[in-house]
Amino acid sequence: MAKEVIRQFLPLLEEEGRGAATDDSAGRDRHYLPDTPEEDPYQAGHRTCAGCGPAIEYRWVLKAAGQDTVVAGPTGCMYVANSTYLCTPYTVPWAHTPIASGGSFTSGMAAGYEALIRKGRHPGPYPNIITMSGDGSAADIGLGPISGALYRNHDALFICYDNECYANTGIQVSPTTPFGGMTTFTPFGKAIPEGTRLPPKNLARMMAEGHPHCYVATATVGYPVDLINKTRKGLNHRGAAFMHCFTPCQKGWVYQTSMTVEIGRRVVEAGLFPVWEYDPEERRYHYFHPPVQRPVTDYLAMQGRFGHMLAEHIATVQQQANRNWETIGMDVPAELRAGEDPEHHKRMRDESYSMPLNRGVGA
Amino acid sequence: MSVRGTRIPPHLQLPIAGVTPPPTEKEGQRLFPTGNFRFYRPVYRDKTPPCNNACPTGEQIQKYLDFVKHERFLDGYLTILEDNPMPSVTGRVCYHPCETACNRAEHDEPIGIRSVERFLGDYGLALADNPIAGDLPELNGTTVAIVGSGPAGLACAYHLRRRGYPSVIFEALGKPGGMLRAGIPHWHLPEEILDAEIAKLLSLGGIEIRCGVRAGEDISWEELRGYPAAFLALGQDVGRRLPVDGIGSRGVVGALEFLREAGLGRPVTVGSQVLVIGGGNTASDAARSAIRLGGGHATIVSLESETELPIVPEDLEQARDEGVAFAPNTALVRVLSCDDHVTGAVVCDAALAKDDSGAVVPRLVPGTEREVACDTIMIAIGQVQQLAWLPSYLSDGGVITADEHGRVEGTMFVGGDVMRGPSMVVDALGDGKRAARDIDRLLTAQALEPEPDVEVMPYQGLNPAYFRHAPRMPIPLTPPQQRRASQKVEVTLAYSQQEAIAESDRCMSCGVCNGCDNCYIVCPDVSVLRDARENGHYSIRTTYCKGCLVCVQECPTGCLEKVPELDFDDPADVVRMETAFAPYDGAHAEQSAFTKQLIEETIAEYDAARSGTGGNGKVAFTPNGDSGVRS
Amino acid sequence: MTTVHVEGAWAPEPDYGPGSRTPDGIKMLAGLAGTRKRLNGCAAAAYAAMYANVDVITAYPIRPYTAIMMNLSQFIADGLLDAEYIVADGEHSQLSAAFGAGSCGARAFTGSSGVGVTYAYEMYSIISGARIPIQMSIADRTLDPPGDFGSEHTDALCTRDMGWLMGWAATPQEVFDKTLIAYAIGEDPRVLLPQMVVQDGYFVSHIAGEVEMPAAAQVDAYLPPYRLPFPLDPRNPVSHGPQIHPSQGPPLQLERARAMEDAIPVIRQKTDEFGAAFGRKYAHFIEEYMLEDADIALVISGGHAVTCRAAIRLLRERGIKVGMARLMWVRPFPSDDLRAALRGVKAVGVVETNLGLGGSTYGGILAPDVTTALYHAENRPLVTSFMAGLGGETVPAAEFDWMAGKLTQAIERGAVEKPAHWVGFED
Repeated sequence: MAKEVIRQFLPLLEEEGRGAATDDSAGRDRHYLPDTPEEDPYQAGHRTCAGCGPAIEYRWVLKAAGQDTVVAGPTGCMYVANSTYLCTPYTVPWAHTPIASGGSFTSGMAAGYEALIRKGRHPGPYPNIITMSGDGSAADIGLGPISGALYRNHDALFICYDNECYANTGIQVSPTTPFGGMTTFTPFGKAIPEGTRLPPKNLARMMAEGHPHCYVATATVGYPVDLINKTRKGLNHRGAAFMHCFTPCQKGWVYQTSMTVEIGRRVVEAGLFPVWEYDPEERRYHYFHPPVQRPVTDYLAMQGRFGHMLAEHIATVQQQANRNWETIGMDVPAELRAGEDPEHHKRMRDESYSMPLNRGVGA
Repeated sequence: MSVRGTRIPPHLQLPIAGVTPPPTEKEGQRLFPTGNFRFYRPVYRDKTPPCNNACPTGEQIQKYLDFVKHERFLDGYLTILEDNPMPSVTGRVCYHPCETACNRAEHDEPIGIRSVERFLGDYGLALADNPIAGDLPELNGTTVAIVGSGPAGLACAYHLRRRGYPSVIFEALGKPGGMLRAGIPHWHLPEEILDAEIAKLLSLGGIEIRCGVRAGEDISWEELRGYPAAFLALGQDVGRRLPVDGIGSRGVVGALEFLREAGLGRPVTVGSQVLVIGGGNTASDAARSAIRLGGGHATIVSLESETELPIVPEDLEQARDEGVAFAPNTALVRVLSCDDHVTGAVVCDAALAKDDSGAVVPRLVPGTEREVACDTIMIAIGQVQQLAWLPSYLSDGGVITADEHGRVEGTMFVGGDVMRGPSMVVDALGDGKRAARDIDRLLTAQALEPEPDVEVMPYQGLNPAYFRHAPRMPIPLTPPQQRRASQKVEVTLAYSQQEAIAESDRCMSCGVCNGCDNCYIVCPDVSVLRDARENGHYSIRTTYCKGCLVCVQECPTGCLEKVPELDFDDPADVVRMETAFAPYDGAHAEQSAFTKQLIEETIAEYDAARSGTGGNGKVAFTPNGDSGVRS
Repeated sequence: MTTVHVEGAWAPEPDYGPGSRTPDGIKMLAGLAGTRKRLNGCAAAAYAAMYANVDVITAYPIRPYTAIMMNLSQFIADGLLDAEYIVADGEHSQLSAAFGAGSCGARAFTGSSGVGVTYAYEMYSIISGARIPIQMSIADRTLDPPGDFGSEHTDALCTRDMGWLMGWAATPQEVFDKTLIAYAIGEDPRVLLPQMVVQDGYFVSHIAGEVEMPAAAQVDAYLPPYRLPFPLDPRNPVSHGPQIHPSQGPPLQLERARAMEDAIPVIRQKTDEFGAAFGRKYAHFIEEYMLEDADIALVISGGHAVTCRAAIRLLRERGIKVGMARLMWVRPFPSDDLRAALRGVKAVGVVETNLGLGGSTYGGILAPDVTTALYHAENRPLVTSFMAGLGGETVPAAEFDWMAGKLTQAIERGAVEKPAHWVGFED
C-alpha cells in the first residue's frame, strides 16, 4: 500500500575551461558557459545590496535545482533582504525559519515529503529540499540542528552561504570571520590592533569529518559551473548533503561592488578557502588545485575590513594559507613561505598588490 | 470578543499569515523595482579587436575565429569573403599583422590566425559551389578598368563584382596573379592553390582578365581614362639596380626577375654557389628558391646586421633550417667574372644607415675587402615600377601619387605596391577593396569619406581570469631536408580541423561580445536577459538592475562598460525611492486576495467532504473577514 | 538541456485521501475497536496519534512525556504506523522539524515536558503566527531550577500568549479524546492553529486508566485529512513568512487575534461532534461539577480535578455548598462560559498548580485571567487563588478542605484576605 518515493536526478553540466574542478590540462580553453538551465527560480526585485555575493549564489543554487524544489530560509540576509516588506523573489515554495532552525525545519520538510509520498498524499516525485543558512546560522546558533540533520541523513541539501559575519544585523563577528577581519563586535583599536583575534572554525571540514556518510563540498562564487554542479551532486546524493559556499559581502568586507566574483576567485588562489569535495563512498577528499598561487595580500588588500592589519597580522594569515596549501597537497612557493615572516610585509595600508584589471569600474 | 467591530482598511489588507504568492520569471517581483538603486548602468558596446584593426583589408578576424570555435566553417568562410577573396592565398603568404597585434601575446602566445584562415580558405576551395554566387546583384554594365591582376587588382574586381560592376583586368604577364605567381615561390604558395582562387573569382562572372596587355604599350593612359572608372594596380615588379662593377655579368640576375621566371614555370639557371644581395623577404625567398632549384648553397649578403634583418622571423628561421647562410653587415663591392660570367664577388664589412628621406645609405668599412667564390648573384635591394607612360605629375620615384583615399584623379584610383612602395599582399587586398567601395561611391554621386575612428580594445581591458594559459597550436612544417628537394613542396602545412578549432578557441574576442553568458550568469538580480543565445544578444532589465557592475567586471572581452545613471547636479535626475521604502498602497491587497481564495477553497472542500458524514452543519461566518458579531 | 530532468512520473490525480495505513496497523486497529485498554496518559496519547495516522513525529527525550514517544517508536518499528520519526537534537529542533513537516502538508506530532517546553519557546509564536496546526503533546513538569520530575503547569502555561490552543486532560481517556478533538479543531481551515494537549506529569501520564478504543473508521470520519490551504508544494508555490515593514504589523496581529476567537465556535462544534461520534460528551469549555447551587467554587485545570471532585463530595456531605469549574481550555480563555458557570457563586478560588512570579496576584497564572473574566460578571464574586500541588505534590482532600474554609471565611468577611494563598504554608 505504501507508494514508492521516486527521486529526481539532475544531470551535471560539462565543465569546459571554466570549472574549478577541471584539470588545468583539460583539452579546450573555451570560455563559453555550457548550456545552463533556463529557469531562474530566484527572481529579480529582492532588496539585497548591489553585487551581493549570497544573492549570486542563491540564484545559481535555485537555477541548478529547478522548479521542483522547496526551500527553507533561516533568518539572515538571505531572508530579510530577499523578502523585505512582505515580498518574495522565489518562484518555488519557500519558508522562513528562525535562525537556528535551518537544519531542523528542513528535516521536518524532508520527513514530511517522505511520509506524504509514501502514504499516497502527494503525487509527485520527491522534491529537491534545500536550506540556505548564513554562516551565523550554520556555524553558530544553528550548528547543532544542522549536525543533527546530517547525522539523521535526511534527503536534503544544507547550504551555508558564508559572508564571514552576521551581516544582516550590521556586520558582527561569526565563527567563520577570518583572523583580522574587522566587524562591529571585533573592531580594531589600540588595545586590540588585529580586531578579530580568533581563527575561524573549519565548518565544512567539521561536517565532513563528523558525518562521514554525507556528501560535503565547498564552493565559491568565483566558479559558477562548479557551484551549480556541486548543488546538483548534493541534491542527487541520496541522503544529507552539506555545501559551504564562500559568498563575499561588499557591505561587510568593504570593496567595490563589482568585485564579488573576482574575490571569490582570489580567496582560492590565495589559499584561504580551499575548494574541495568529500566523497562519502570513498571517504576521501578531492581538492581543487588553483592554477595560480598568490600571496595573501593579493586577496586581503582588496577589502577594507583588513585595512588595519599590521605586518605581523598579515604574516599570521599567510601562515594559515600555507597550512591550507599543505593540506590540499600543493607545494608552498618560496615567496609565500617567506611571507610567514612579518619582515616580509608592510602594514596593509602601505602594501602594494596586484589589483585586478580595472576598466574603470567603480574605482 | 476583542475583534468584534474591527475592520482592516484597504491599504492594509494583507495575506493571511503573510503567505505571499510567487513572482513570475517574466516580471520579477514587481513590488520593488530595484532599478532605482542604480548609480551606474551596464551597456554593451563592442570595440574593435586589435586583429581586426591591424588587418589592412579589414577582415573580421574575431568573427570568423568565433565561427570556427563553433564549427560553423561556412559562416567563417563567408565572413572572410566579405573582405578578402582569397583566404587560401593569404592563409599561406600573409605576414599576419593581425598576429603581431593579437592581445593574446600578452597572455601567452598570439593566435595562429593565418593558419586558421588557411584552414577556412582551403575549406572554401573544396566546396562544390561558390557560396556567394547566388547572392550577387545583377551586373549593371558599368565596366571598370583595372591594370594588374595581382592581389590589388583581383580584390578590386571582386569587390566591384559584389557591388554589381563588371571589370576588365589588363595583365602584362602571360598568366594572371601578379606577384602572387611571379614573386612568391611555389613552396610558399602552390600554383594550383592560386589558380583555384582565381578560378573561383572568375566563376562569379563579370570579370575579364586579358593577359599579355601591358599598360603604356598595349593600352594607353587615354584609353584607361575613357573607362567610367579605373584602378591602377601595377605593383612594383622591377628590381632596383646595384651600380657596382661587373653587375652586367652573366649569372647576375635581379631576384625579382629570377622569382618571376621561376613562378611562371620558365626554366631558370641557378648555380650551386649563390649570393643573394639584400636583407629583405625577396632576398630570403630568392635564396631559398635558389637552394631548391640549384641544389647547392645560398648566402644572404646584407647591409643589415642579423637583428636588423627585415625578413619575417618565421621565414628567417625556416631559411636557417634549410641551410641558407647569412653574411650580415656585408656589402657587395664588385663582381668578379671570367669570360663575362660570374666567378666570385668582392665584399666588405658594412652597415646600414638611412638618410633624412629614409633612403638606404650603405656605409662601407674601408680596408675590409675580401673575395668570396660564387657562380650566381641575385640582387634583391628594392623594387620600383616603370611609370613613364603616365603623366609625370602622377608619379614620384617609382610610385603613383594619390590622395588619402587612394584617388589619383577623377574616378581613377591606385593601390598596392605601386602606391605604397613594397608592402604586403594584404595591403594590396585592402587597397583594392577600398577602391571598389570608393569607385561605387563616386559613380553613385556620393562623397568619399575618411575611414571612421575605431576604438581598439587593449589587453588591459579584458578579464584574463577567464583565459587559461595555453600555448599556440604548433604550426606543422615539412622537414627541412624534404623542403630543399623541390620548389613545389609546401613548407608550411595546414592545421587539421581539430587544431583549427582548438586554436580558435584561444581567441579572447577582444572588445566584442561573443555570447559567453558570463554577464547573464553573474547577475544577482537576474537582470541580464538573453534575447537569443547568439553573440551579443543581451539586454539589461533596467527595472531591476542595481548597477552593481559585476557583469562589467566579469566580462572577459571588455565589451560591457558602465555609464553613469544619475547626474546629481541636475535635480530632475534624482529619483525619489518611494517604492523602495514603503509598500505602495494596495499592493499587498492583490496578494491578500490570493490567500483568501486558497482558504475559501479549502473551506469549501472541507465542508463538502463532511456534509453527510454526521458533521453538525457549518459555522456560518467567514474567518478573517471584516465582520461584526462572531457567535 | 535546459530544464531539470526528472525520473519518475507524477500521478494523474492528487490523492488527499486518508493516507495509507499499514496492513498490520489496520489489523491492529480492527482488533482494538470497541475494546477498553488500561493505558496511562502517555500511552493514550500515543494510541490517539496512531489513530490520527500522523505523518511525522518529532521526538526528544525528557521526563515524563518520553513514554509517548517510546510507544510511538514501537508502533512504527512493529509496522503498525507509517510515519517518519525524527529524533531531534533538542526541543527547539523538535518543534522546528514539526513546523517544517506541517508546512508541507504533513500531519505533525510532537511533545515535551518542563524545560524542554521552554527550550523551544522561540518556535511557539512563529508556528501559531504561520498558522500551521501541529500538535504538541505535553506531559507537564516543574521548570528548573533545579531538576524536578514532578508536575506543575507552568511549562505550558508560560507559553499561553503565543497563540496556541491549549487545554489540560485529566484522565488517560481524556488525553486520548482531546488529542483527536484538538487536531480536529486546529486543522479546521477556519482555525488553522497549533494545539497543546497537556496532561499532568505522573498523575495522568504515568497512572493507568481505562481508555475506550474506537474503530479507525470512526476516527477517520470525525477527523478529516489534514489539508493546509497553502502548503510548501512545488505545484503551487508560495512563500511563508517574508519580512514585513512595521506598518504591516498591526493587521497581521489582528488576524492572529481573530483566529483565536474564531476557534471558539469551532471548539463547540467539534466537541459536540465528538460526543455524537464516540458517545463521550465533553463540556465545551467548562466542566461544571455541583455548581448549580454553589456558594463557593474552585476553578481548576488538569488532573487534580479528579481529587477535587472527591473532596467536593466530602465537603458537600458536611453541608458546604461548594462546586468545581474545570477549565477544558485555557486558550482561548473561556470568559463567557466561565461567567455563566459561576453565576450565583459568591467566592471563587482558583487552584494554581503553577508559578506566575511577580504577577498581579503574586501567586499563579490562572487567577489573573479568571479575575478579569469575573470582573465583567453581572454580580462580581470574590476571587482568590490557592498555590497547591507545586513541585509535583498531590493536592489531598485536606488541602481542598482548607481552601473551602478560606473561601467561606471570605464570604463572611466580605473580602478575600489576599489574592493568593500558599496552601500548606499558612494557618
